Amino acid sequence: MSRFIRTAVLIVAGIIWLLPVYLLVINAAKSPADFTSKEAWLPNGFALFENMSDALSLSGLGDAVFSTLIYAVVSPIVAVLVGAAAGFAIVALRLKHGFAWFVVIFGGTVFPLQMVLIPLFDGYSRVGLFDTRLGMVLIYTAISVPFSAFVMRNFFSGIAHNVFEAAVVDGASTWRIFTRVYIPMSLSALVAIFILQATFVWNDLLLGLTLSQSDDVRPIVTTLSGMQSTYGGAQLSTVLAAGILVSLPTVVLFLFTQKFFAKGLALGQY
Amino acid sequence: MSRRDSTSYQWSARGFIAPGVILVAVLLYAPLLWTTYLSFTEYNGLGDPDWVGLANYGAMFADPEFFGSLGNTLLWVAGTLIVPVGLGLGLALLTFDLKGGIWLRLPFLIPYAISGIGVGLIWSFILQSDGALDQALALVGVVDPPRWLLDAPLNTVVMILASSWQGVGVNALLFTIGLQSIPKEPLEAARLDGARGARLFGSILWPMLRPLTAVVIGLSIVASLKTFDIVQGMTKGGPGRASETLALTMYKDTFVNSDYGLGSAIAVFLTIVTLVASVLYLRQQLSKKNEI
Repeated sequence: MSRFIRTAVLIVAGIIWLLPVYLLVINAAKSPADFTSKEAWLPNGFALFENMSDALSLSGLGDAVFSTLIYAVVSPIVAVLVGAAAGFAIVALRLKHGFAWFVVIFGGTVFPLQMVLIPLFDGYSRVGLFDTRLGMVLIYTAISVPFSAFVMRNFFSGIAHNVFEAAVVDGASTWRIFTRVYIPMSLSALVAIFILQATFVWNDLLLGLTLSQSDDVRPIVTTLSGMQSTYGGAQLSTVLAAGILVSLPTVVLFLFTQKFFAKGLALGQY
Repeated sequence: MSRRDSTSYQWSARGFIAPGVILVAVLLYAPLLWTTYLSFTEYNGLGDPDWVGLANYGAMFADPEFFGSLGNTLLWVAGTLIVPVGLGLGLALLTFDLKGGIWLRLPFLIPYAISGIGVGLIWSFILQSDGALDQALALVGVVDPPRWLLDAPLNTVVMILASSWQGVGVNALLFTIGLQSIPKEPLEAARLDGARGARLFGSILWPMLRPLTAVVIGLSIVASLKTFDIVQGMTKGGPGRASETLALTMYKDTFVNSDYGLGSAIAVFLTIVTLVASVLYLRQQLSKKNEI
């Protein structure tokens, strides 16, 4: 096929692909007073920012934004460091049966999330972690650790072992070697894992649905899901505006870091 | 030196690996074992679980709703393999070697980072009765459009298409990376020999894309078996239980009907299916590799 035809086909297909986004934006921008679902294709006024700020006070979406930011920042950072420590133990410190331990950690992701929901719900309720931010941070961290350990073990395998030996000769402790030599050398890998996991946490529905209920603990996507079933009719434009608000951060992050994502996916995370 | 290497830092190494092992053991493995145990008990979250042997599995396989849900899940697996994987490959081939390919792929990538609930929100708005799609159809004279989200199995099919809208771009990106990593020489040689279009694809591109195709297909199978978010966002498994997937059935039986034993049995079943599918798939891939 000639390049011209290919380009033309792609442009037409691309426009069709963006139609749902067009519909989302123009309808999220209609003020509730003018909103009618009868004229979905025609723009009508621009009240997007008003709708977004209305959405933030609806269903506690504002609170949810704040807690989700905590989850999506804290959990991936802790997970990245815990995974890096595991990789360091296996590769640099040559932990005995290191590969078996690696399999133990990585095995944590091979089964569906459904296998942990009931005991987590039950156990969290018993020890007072149900519907707490600490409880959410803990589970998001645990879920992110296996992938992080996987990538960091691979990454550290690429660092020559005499880097470690030289540091030992200089009299550095293992903790110092980890924090001052290995971590600074692997910033790019750490950032890539962080971005992937932060997006995963931001978009989580199932854990939020199971382990939280109050406005200030519920993560944002779970809150959006609740809004969708609670508010219809004229307030639909507000819910659609909430949808944009919730989606924008990950879409922007993703578009700037496509390559990281593709690599992470090819490594077999999802 | 090498002997000292492998023994001298063992205590330190245990300290470094401990946090990861503890987190995974306490928050993932212990629950996993507990769910397996609960699947042999009757339990509603209060008091103690009562051992009932295989009764939950018996109830599960006797329930027509379970088979409906299983059927929908298999439809999701099949649909996900055909539409987003196929279109993703097509898109990667169309943009391959094309000037401005990055920009032409961009519209397809935007939906990927939207959460399943966000995608569900957009598409249920479009597909609702008298919604955007029906209004567009009315313009071209279709006055009695299908009830997209209300009739099974049509609702599952349109949800698979909505999820394809989300997933095509990232598959295209993966295939593009695969295409770009193909060495230039055999490609040029084949072109000089006059291979174009379908022949170039069949003789050079497809065989060289095989490893990557294996990854994309494997990921798609595992992810589609666990489909939850987008269905929750569009039909909540309804009307009734007509569009439930196994993940939704598990959630509803557990947290809506408080039947923890049955919910656990479904979770165990889903896990076994996922593991069996992965193992069969990996084995088939590995044996193919040996043949070449």
